[in-house]
Amino acid sequence: MSDSEEYASGSLMEDEEEEEQESASDQEKDFGLDNSVTVSKKPAYRILKGETLEERRKQALEEVTGVLGITEEDAARLLRRFKWDVTRVHEEWFSNYDAVRASVGLQDEAPVPSTSQATCMICFESYPTDQMYSASCRHLFCHDCWQGYTSTAIADGPACLDLRCPDPKCTACVPTSIIKRTAPPEALAKYQSFCVRSFVEDNRSLVWCVGRGCECAVECCVDRTADEALDVICSSCGATFCFNCKEEAHRPVSCEWVRKWAIKNSAESENVHWIIANTKPCPRCSRPIEKNQGCMHMTCSQCRFEFCWLCQGDWKEHGDRTGGFFNCNRYDAAKRKGDYDEETRKRDNAKQSLERYMHYFERWDAHQKARNKAKADQARISADWLERLSEQTKTPSSQLKFIMDAWSQIIECRRVLSWTYTYGYYALEDMDHKASSTKEGNSSAEENQRFFFEFLQADAERSLERLHEAAEVQLKKVMENNSTAQGNGAPLDLDSFMAFRTHLIGLTDVTRGYFEKLVRQLEKGFEDLERDFGGGSAEEAALIETTL
Amino acid sequence: MNSAQEAQAAQLPRRIIKETQRLLSEPAPGISASPSEDNLRYFNVMILGPSQSPYEGGVFKLELFLPEDYPMAPPKVRFLTKIYHPNVDKLGRICLDILKDKWSPALQIRTVLLSIQALLSAPNPDDPLADNVAQHWKSDEPGAIRTARDWTLRFAQS
Ligand SMILES: [Zn+2]
Ligand SMILES: [Zn+2]
Ligand SMILES: [Zn+2]
Ligand SMILES: [Zn+2]
Ligand SMILES: [Zn+2]
Ligand SMILES: [Zn+2]
Repeated sequence: MSDSEEYASGSLMEDEEEEEQESASDQEKDFGLDNSVTVSKKPAYRILKGETLEERRKQALEEVTGVLGITEEDAARLLRRFKWDVTRVHEEWFSNYDAVRASVGLQDEAPVPSTSQATCMICFESYPTDQMYSASCRHLFCHDCWQGYTSTAIADGPACLDLRCPDPKCTACVPTSIIKRTAPPEALAKYQSFCVRSFVEDNRSLVWCVGRGCECAVECCVDRTADEALDVICSSCGATFCFNCKEEAHRPVSCEWVRKWAIKNSAESENVHWIIANTKPCPRCSRPIEKNQGCMHMTCSQCRFEFCWLCQGDWKEHGDRTGGFFNCNRYDAAKRKGDYDEETRKRDNAKQSLERYMHYFERWDAHQKARNKAKADQARISADWLERLSEQTKTPSSQLKFIMDAWSQIIECRRVLSWTYTYGYYALEDMDHKASSTKEGNSSAEENQRFFFEFLQADAERSLERLHEAAEVQLKKVMENNSTAQGNGAPLDLDSFMAFRTHLIGLTDVTRGYFEKLVRQLEKGFEDLERDFGGGSAEEAALIETTL
Repeated sequence: MNSAQEAQAAQLPRRIIKETQRLLSEPAPGISASPSEDNLRYFNVMILGPSQSPYEGGVFKLELFLPEDYPMAPPKVRFLTKIYHPNVDKLGRICLDILKDKWSPALQIRTVLLSIQALLSAPNPDDPLADNVAQHWKSDEPGAIRTARDWTLRFAQS
């Protein structure tokens, strides 16, 4: 059931409690639907809360202790070694028994030493052997030295989970009993938290939610190739991020392009390009000088040196002798010899690629900013208007969720649109370069691809603007009409409000569907664009028109 | 030991005192290490360049310091004599696993110094600290060895 169906059939005056339960299940359903990439609608990921994680961890441990007949502690060592993949632990254990045991430091117990006194090889003191501890290797150390050893290791981080005997030639793992006996309470607490966190951090199919203070983990439920992007929304804290690279959610762009784009955007690298393209250093003081239009006569703003842009020689030596003020023949002569060609060509290329980058970056940036603005607007509306509206419509504010849904959709659309520019920047790179640097330009197939891509982008922008307009301007109108006609706090015209509600819900659904399709389409690749989307967009556009 | 040293020694963990005594009474071949007069955690070290290495005939001075949490933390060691070696940088710092993540409190000053001596016999350009020296070693080993020998003659003569 979609949002619109549910709301259309439900009464506005429903019991608040019941509504809240429904919206919770509704939310879960939405996340499943929104993010499934498979046809079967199987969710691509699940959000796991603290208790569930602990259950799952215990379950994995039990499956190993039960089948291999080993302690929970040793099972944890094996599971960490094989990234919490229970099946793999079973397989490796039975096919490579000795090697697997050695790799995690499991050894047969060495015979107990017969002496009653031994020297601790860390502090060089002698102790009765019954006051010393050792791993299965029987390398004895005193309590104080073990304490120093375990607390230092725990302070160094989660690698302490794989702590080995202090003897440099020995690989026996340090049993948890020694850690419990020797580590100070704070260190022990830290150690235990490492044990629990390992279930997520060493697990191939789990990551922590990036939301600040959020303790949920995300489980990927589909097969994913290495470095494949997966956008995730945390149902607990609302954070959106990529499962693979932990950056902000970025479908339809790949993680690799996001990484490249971030590097590209670091102002420094692009400024350098800009300076190369537009400036030359003053031949006297080296200050970068920006070329003004046309004229080759440059004056350094710092040292006032006047020089020729083309040959960088002193302007005083220019004039009739060098072929006039606008045409330096010293440069032309050099150009004929080929001295300047390489430099000029580089400069032109740098300038062109910079302009191309600026085109995509400005649009990417504008949508990012619009997205942040929409987030702020959503928060403001939720804080300022919802209560008032709820009073006027005599509706619990939980029933006004459709307004927040519309805004969440706007925020999501801005995000997608913004990334389509990064997508375009990389997907069209070769094509743009070919168009500007070769005589033939692009083939008609390439032209069509570009046309459909830009058409889709423009179409998506239009559908988003419609939704944005409704969620912002029309909402304001509904509220204002009411307060001017009947005074503040008076009951709202329910009919017009219901009409607005149906309209906004419909628009939100259509826009969501449209953007989902756009994302899937771009992910499929550029070549399919024309074939798959050629006819579809008109249909979609018509659908939007009818909802309006 | 003079009286000031004795007073200091009283504050020192027994392990450090025992290690020091043993270093002085049974020094490892080609290695000498003696604590400084005013700080018993600071050692003046000399390592003779191993034979059949480009450092042969050289006397290399190092400093070694035992931090407060020694032996839980490794000693800090640095070459004072200029040396051309892919695992030693311009400041004399040494790239050696047991001085970092492979440190164990059951290792000792003696084992550390023996490992450094071994590193002089067998430079490891795949785990470099001095990038350009390591590059030189990889691209032109005979040339790099000549430079190392040259530096030994110029800087490492007692
Ligand atoms: Zn001890
Ligand atoms: Zn051992
Ligand atoms: Zn979260
Ligand atoms: Zn990613
Ligand atoms: Zn100047
Ligand atoms: Zn000129």
